[in-house]
This record gives sequence, C-alpha cells and structure tokens, in this order.
Amino acid sequence: MSNEWLNDLRRKMEDHTENVPDGLWKDIRNDLFEEDEVKNSVLGLMNDDLKAQEKVIKKSNQKSLFYRIGGAAAAIAMFFILGRLIDFSGKKEPLKEPKYVGKSKKESAQTIVYSQKLSIGKENTAVKNSFKERNDVNIINKDKGQKENQVFTENIFEKLLNKTKNPETDLWTNKIPESKKQDLADKLLNQNNQNLAQEQKNAVEAQNNNAEEETHKLLTKQEREWKEKFEEAKKEKLAGNKSKRTWMLGVLTGNASSNATDQFPGYATLNGTTLSLPEVWSVGYEENPLMAILIANQDKKVDATIKHKTPITFGASVYYNVGKKWGIGTGINYTKLSAGLTSGSNDYFISSEQNIHYVGIPVQVNYNMIHKGAFTGYVTGGGVVEKAVSGDIKTKYIVDGVVKEETTEDISEKPVQVSVNTAVGLQLKVIRHIGIYAEPGIGYHFNDNSSLNTIYKEKPLNFNLKFGIRVLLD
Amino acid sequence: MKENKEQILVNRLLKKEEAAWKELFEAYSGSLTYVCSRYIIDREDVHDVLQNSFIQMFRSIGSFEYRGSGSLKAWITRIVVNESLKHIKQNVDFKVVSEDFEIPDEENEDPNFEEISQDIIMMMIRSLPEGYRMVFNLYVFEEKSHKEIAETLGIAENSSASQFHRAKSMLAQKIKEYTMSKAAQYE
Repeated sequence: MSNEWLNDLRRKMEDHTENVPDGLWKDIRNDLFEEDEVKNSVLGLMNDDLKAQEKVIKKSNQKSLFYRIGGAAAAIAMFFILGRLIDFSGKKEPLKEPKYVGKSKKESAQTIVYSQKLSIGKENTAVKNSFKERNDVNIINKDKGQKENQVFTENIFEKLLNKTKNPETDLWTNKIPESKKQDLADKLLNQNNQNLAQEQKNAVEAQNNNAEEETHKLLTKQEREWKEKFEEAKKEKLAGNKSKRTWMLGVLTGNASSNATDQFPGYATLNGTTLSLPEVWSVGYEENPLMAILIANQDKKVDATIKHKTPITFGASVYYNVGKKWGIGTGINYTKLSAGLTSGSNDYFISSEQNIHYVGIPVQVNYNMIHKGAFTGYVTGGGVVEKAVSGDIKTKYIVDGVVKEETTEDISEKPVQVSVNTAVGLQLKVIRHIGIYAEPGIGYHFNDNSSLNTIYKEKPLNFNLKFGIRVLLD
Repeated sequence: MKENKEQILVNRLLKKEEAAWKELFEAYSGSLTYVCSRYIIDREDVHDVLQNSFIQMFRSIGSFEYRGSGSLKAWITRIVVNESLKHIKQNVDFKVVSEDFEIPDEENEDPNFEEISQDIIMMMIRSLPEGYRMVFNLYVFEEKSHKEIAETLGIAENSSASQFHRAKSMLAQKIKEYTMSKAAQYE
C-alpha cells in the first residue's frame, strides 16, 4: 500500500466543509467587537477589571495628592478657601464613576477568556482552576501580608492572573498544570506561525507587567487616606463669651455630607480576602453557595457595588476658654461606619454588610470671630484620633433569589484612624447654659494602613456638616 | 497592480472592520469547522477552538503576509490547526493510544474511496484514536513531515511514523470494510 492514495484523499477532502457550530459568529463578534460594552461574562470581565483598576488607581493617586494639598490648605486657610475646596471636591467626585466601565479589552485577555471558556465547558476543569487559583492567592496573600485593598473587584479568575507568581504561565495555563510542556509545544507550533506566537508572547508579557504594576499600585493606594467623617469635638464659644475661663459640655451629632457608591465589574469582598471555595470538592460544589453563584453567573454580567453609608457620629465634649477669643476642646465620640457590598448578578449574588465602630478623641481649637447677641461665629480646626473598637461583616449568599447561607465574621483588625478637620461654626445660645450650633466643615482622614475598606479610604477628604447642642459648664 | 478580492479583504480585516471579519467568517467558517473537526470530536470544543482561532486571527492579522491566492485561507487554517492542537494537548493525554489494534498485514492495494462521500470519510477519520488522528491529520492534511510532527507533538520521530502507519492502516481497513458492506447491500 503506497501513500499515494493519501494524496488523493487530501484532494478529495480539500473542499469539504462542516456545519459551523451554532452561535459561533455571535460569540466571536461579541469578543471582537463589543469591547466597549461591559462584558457579559464573568471571564470577559477580567481584563476590564484590570484596566478599570489601573485607571481607578491612577486617578485615586492624583486625587490623593489633591486631597493632601487641599487638606493642608484648608487647615491653614480655614474657611476663606472653604468654598473653593468644596467646589473642587464637588467637581472631582463625579469624575470617578465612569471610568470603571467599558475599558477596551486587551487581546491578551481574550486569550484568557478563551481558555477559560474552554474550561468552562468542563466544570471539573473550572473547578480545578478556581481551586488552584485560590491556592495561589493564598500564598500571595501571605506574602503581601494581606495588603491588598479589595476595593476593586476580585474576580476569582482574574485574581489568578493578577497574582500568580510565575507569570510566564498563567495566561496559558489557567487550566493546564503542565505549563512547561505547553510552552514547549507552543514554541514548536510557532515555527509554523512565528509572528503569531510572538504576539502572543508579547501580549502575555504585557499582561504580566500590567498585573505587577497593578499590585504595586494597589499598595500605594492603601496609603491613601481615609475619609472623613466623624466629627470632631466641638468647641465653641459661648454666646456670652466671658473672658473668664469656662468649661463647656457639648453633645453633637455629625453628618458627613456624602455617601459613596462604587461599582465594578466582577466580584469583590469587603475585607480584603479572596472569595474562598471549600477545601473538599468531592462533596459537590453545587452545594457550596459561592460556587453555585460563580457557576450561575459565568455567562452573566457581574458587578460589585460597594455602597458606603454616611458615617454617623455621636459625641460629647468639653470646651475650655483660653482668653477672650480662643478656646480648646476635647471629648469623646462614637462613629459608626457602614458599607454594603453586592457582587454578582440579579439572582445570584453575594451581599455583605460591614459595620465598624470607632471611638475617638477629638482635640479642637476654636477662634471666635464674631459675637453678636446670642450668636457666635467661630472657626475651628483640630484633629481626631479614633480607634476601631469592633467590626463585623455579615455575608449572605443568595442563590437564585434565596438566601442560601449567611455568615458573620468579626473584623479582627482594629486600626487607629487619624484625621484633621476644619470648620466654620455658628452657635446660638438658646438659654443660659445651652447653645445649639451648626458647623459646616471639611475633614481629611489619613490612611490607617489597614485592609479595611471604608468610606475614609474611598474619600479621604470630605465635606461635612455637624449639628449639636453644647452645654456650658460654669 | 490591481489587488484581488482576497487582498482587499485582508486590507479591510487589518482595519478591524466588523463587516470584513464577518465576511471572512462566512467565507471560511465551514471549511475551518471541517479542519477543526478533524482534530476535535466534541462539538462544544470545536466551537471554542474556532472562537479562539478567530480571536487569534484578529489579533495577529497584522503579521499576515499575502503571498498569493489562497494564502489567506492557508494562514487561517494553520491557526485553526494550531489552536486545535493546543486544545488537545491541554485536554487529552494524546500519547496514550491503545495498542490493541491489530495492524492488518500490509495490504497490497490502495483503498478505493472514489465512491465514498466526504462525510463518510470524515466520520472515519474522526473515529481514529486521538493520537493516530493527530499524526494522520498533520501528515496527510497539513503535509508535515514526521520530524515536524514529532517536534510539534513532543513525541519521538519514529513514534510519529509508527502512529501514522497504524492510522493509515486503520483507515484503509475502514474504507475497505465500508466498501464491502456497501457492496453487500447492493447484492
């Protein structure tokens, strides 16, 4: 038997075609030409996330600088520039949101998307991926001393890409442990198509570089400050400011002006940990709510929305007049920070609520500017040191609209939060020893270097309005 | 020099025009599906590999050099083959080939498949064991040498040759059996 017939065979089959798989063009088109849209698949999100993060981070850094400058200027210049600062922050905030969406997809990510997709076909493989990924992430978390701030999303898959230690392989080997074999094979294949391979490699490298940079940036991001809120003590001066030294007791409630909502594609957690999958797979991942969510959402658009509620502060303070115009005050106050996180699609999602309680000691200096009748106008500036005294995160896993599992974990990290603030205040003395006041001001929260994701980190500089009652102690 | 249709299409592909890519898809997807199906049996996997391949083309179209009529098809076919092999290597331990197949004594005459439809031949090819099929496809349809195949698949050159030999015999046998059963039907 010769090999001749094989040539005939080849010729015979030359023009053969097979039925194209259903929906193929649609999928390809989605991948190639809908990059400006928010991706609809979990996997498709990966690169978007990367880009989004990068953008956000850059932006935040810039913002942080502005905030620092703004904070310092504010402390010095007080309310002369207050109006301007408010403007400035008012302008800045809105800029932030749009950036998360619609990053153009990088090609390398598509590869990932793809190999991931392949694997999805086989859930087992997918499961393996996640598992492997989780291990990687754990290692890295350890290495990094769990520094990452999880403000952004952590698509579980993406995380693998971001953090895996041996970057060479991750793009290709999400599912293939034998990366070496793969590389070798790729190389060989590439003899047939070198350019193509070259590009792939470049893409892989570029991707890896990105990932590294991002990690780096994440760290610096942490350095950014918290945000403000609490309130300071208040001090004030009494309407009938006596030249005699006076003690005052203040009760106040603070209201930071804004709450914040951020939305990202992908999954996220509040406390900086990775979504974790159970150790034992054989039990059946369908029973694990997280896995059920991941699987159910694999073809859907997944968003993580973090909503920071307006901080709530209560406090009591004493005020001491020093001379006619000046006074210092201190006290104690309590602040509660709440944030809610929703990650997933409509019916399959993870919902977390984070509550952190702070107890703080404010120190304020007041300067009375105007005193007319029962009214006193003053400017105040000071700092607050607050310590988180307790915190918890409640997480609910909602599978198909039903709460499948609910967990509560305490936040063991108890960072100390330092902030400075300045405000102008107006106090009305109602009766002899009691005044009510309103203080619009700005505050700046320094970074506490914790992994907690709070509104202070999100918006270190904020504008707030405090109201209170002061009791003068003669 | 006037550009032919293929070149015009390539230029439009380079601009990443959606319509051009759709055109490419429509013109070649049937053939590419065939190429891919020679390697990959599972329909879902074929879908994924093809999807991957198009991404790959989209990404590397810049490196494509037009070398005359048919070169575009050759290029995209190569990409599909590469993607298919990559997929197989990632998912199948292709080197495990059952050795229980008895190689028939070297047959003398070449099988005659004149009368057999492409679809039937395709089925026969697809029914070859994974490892045989890869080598067979690469050798016959991609016209690779055993040396190249060995490098590509990371196997020894002589095992490429022997797998090919077995594949060839197996296919020849299938063709003969089929022809005989057909003949029997008509009698």
